[in-house]
Amino acid sequence: MAEVSVRKLIKRFGQFEVVHGIDFDVTDGEFMVLVGPSGCGKSTTLRMIAGLETVSDGEISINGELVNDVPPRDRDIAMVFQDYALYPHMSVKQNLGFGLKMRDMPRAKIEEAVQRTADILQIRELLDRKPKQLSGGQRQRVAIGRAIAREPQLFLFDEPLSNLDAKLRVEMRTQIKRLHIAFNATSIYVTHDQTEAMTLADRIVVLRGGVIEQVGTPDQLYNHPVNRFVAGFIGSPTMNFIDAELAESAGEASIVFNDGQTLPLTAAQRQSYASHKGQKVLFGVRPEHLTNVFTAENRGGAGLVPIEIPVEIVEPLGADTLVFSKLGGSEIVSRVAGSADLRPGTRIPVHVDMSRTHLFDPETGVRLTAT
Amino acid sequence: MRMSTKQRLGDAGTYLAYLVVCLFFAGPLLWLISLSIRTAAEVYVSDIRLWPQNPTLDNYFSVLGNQLFPRYLWNGLLLSVAGAFGAMLFATPAAYALSRFEFPAKRPVMIGILAFQMISPLVIMVPLYRYMDRIGLTDSHFGASMLYIAVAAPLFTWMLKGFIDGIPRSLEEAAMIDGCTRFGAFLRVIMPLSLPGLTSAFVLNAILGWSQFIIPFILLSKPALQPIAVGIFNFQGTYNTTSTQVLAAASVLSIVPAIVTFLVLQRFIIGALTAGAVKG
Ligand SMILES: Nc1ncnc2c1ncn2[C@@H]1O[C@H](COP(=O)(O)OP(=O)(O)OP(=O)(O)O)[C@@H](O)[C@H]1O
Ligand SMILES: [Mg+2]
Repeated sequence: MAEVSVRKLIKRFGQFEVVHGIDFDVTDGEFMVLVGPSGCGKSTTLRMIAGLETVSDGEISINGELVNDVPPRDRDIAMVFQDYALYPHMSVKQNLGFGLKMRDMPRAKIEEAVQRTADILQIRELLDRKPKQLSGGQRQRVAIGRAIAREPQLFLFDEPLSNLDAKLRVEMRTQIKRLHIAFNATSIYVTHDQTEAMTLADRIVVLRGGVIEQVGTPDQLYNHPVNRFVAGFIGSPTMNFIDAELAESAGEASIVFNDGQTLPLTAAQRQSYASHKGQKVLFGVRPEHLTNVFTAENRGGAGLVPIEIPVEIVEPLGADTLVFSKLGGSEIVSRVAGSADLRPGTRIPVHVDMSRTHLFDPETGVRLTAT
Repeated sequence: MRMSTKQRLGDAGTYLAYLVVCLFFAGPLLWLISLSIRTAAEVYVSDIRLWPQNPTLDNYFSVLGNQLFPRYLWNGLLLSVAGAFGAMLFATPAAYALSRFEFPAKRPVMIGILAFQMISPLVIMVPLYRYMDRIGLTDSHFGASMLYIAVAAPLFTWMLKGFIDGIPRSLEEAAMIDGCTRFGAFLRVIMPLSLPGLTSAFVLNAILGWSQFIIPFILLSKPALQPIAVGIFNFQGTYNTTSTQVLAAASVLSIVPAIVTFLVLQRFIIGALTAGAVKG
């Protein structure tokens, strides 16, 4: 069990600074996910926490102890690598027991820990094989097994699922979550896949270009993104953004799109956006809030505004259907009922759940809130 | 599926080219074998024929009967293995460092190592002899081994670096997280995984050492210390009539161990050469 704190963390490769002074804390037992686009510094940050990269500036502490200069072997951590990094010349059994052997644990104890781990991950029958003789999914299990066999105080994962096919990835994701619930060990998990981040995380750190955009629970990131980047990064399909103006229409503050179409704001929104009246804004609405489906929470809600959108492309997903369309002069996606029989060229009535929409500053991308 | 005529013609052309190349390289060897089974009288006959009129194995018997011959073979083995082994001791840590660490002037260092490889001992023969003579290391297997090592180390280092480059870094990182020091990770993970590369570099360098001529030629004047490549020359002096045919037999005998080693271990050698080439 461990707490990790990262303070003003900076990483330079030569002259080139790739992590620009980031701060975050991981509390005991928490599952923290670092997410962000490729090259944003996720792996570099994780590798500094592991001790595999030197810290250029700032501090990393584990359980209150500064570990900047502590070698990886003394940090009591385990790491699951993207390429699994199983020792090819050792059997699965030896792979699982290697960390314990290095810590001079007696043989009988190692054997016991290996068997226990093998049971948890259901890899008992693989113990005598070499990594080469395993499938990708089996290697993944062994890699996770090697991490948990040692019972370290901190787990680190660097995109452990990215080499698996889609089905196996979902399966292993659930497995990791199950393990976390069972052991409740502090974990830091790196991925560029927002779905993985949302499903696994207690809290998420969203990184971009070596700086933190937002730290929060999946719910906070989804419902209260601080800016356009986070709003667009979290959620799939991504949020629709439409250029608009916050204007007066029929005596009420409304969203007015470039093509003249207007959407009335809710009473709460009128109040919080009062100071932005007349401003150009970026209107953001998620596909699932631009739908013909009524849910328990939006039914009869005040913010439902009926509109009609033209159907251009239809992507049926079974449970629901994605409709690619246009609204206010921008390309948009909406998520409608799966059974709907839709043909391109027709129009479909949907409703916008205004209470779930956001406004962003078109220049800075910051989400507008009551000031 | 049937091959088209065009494809078959193409294949025939390829094989024809192979044949020409083979003959080109095998020619001198065949001639050497031909010489080695002639009588002294037939060595200088003017008409060119590969198979002599009176083939004989006498030359081989006289070489094998020479009491120094086993000695030459032993010396050759000793020097080439000592050279490859010593080179391995230096090359392994060097290759690891060159593969894994970033340090100033890394590229110049690597090019420098390669450049040393390209200096033939022939060019520095005279100063080399004087130097070794001054420090009293001529006419000793120890002194000669040192030079064998020096000559083999650059190639050994490059081959091994290429091999280690192909071993993912995450393996030793995993080992370091699992509780190893960097050196521990090197010993427990990198070394076992480099074994194929080490073996092939070792075998290749030993074979190269076996055919090393200049270094033992300038350093070792006592026949009892000389390896086979130099020892062959002594057969020239031993027989006062024409000795070409005996020399040829000695030469054939001297390359047999190298060829046998190569054939037995070719899998390793080719592995090392391509590992260095592709990943280096
Ligand atoms: N050893 C290195 N030397 C120089 N630059 C590096 C090194 N390692 C990483 N970088 C740079 O640092 C930046 C961050 O890299 P990092 O691997 O942390 O990205 P990432 O967020 O993990 O991306 P991905 O999702 O592609 O794995 C990148 O611009 C990368 O080019
Ligand atoms: Mg990465």
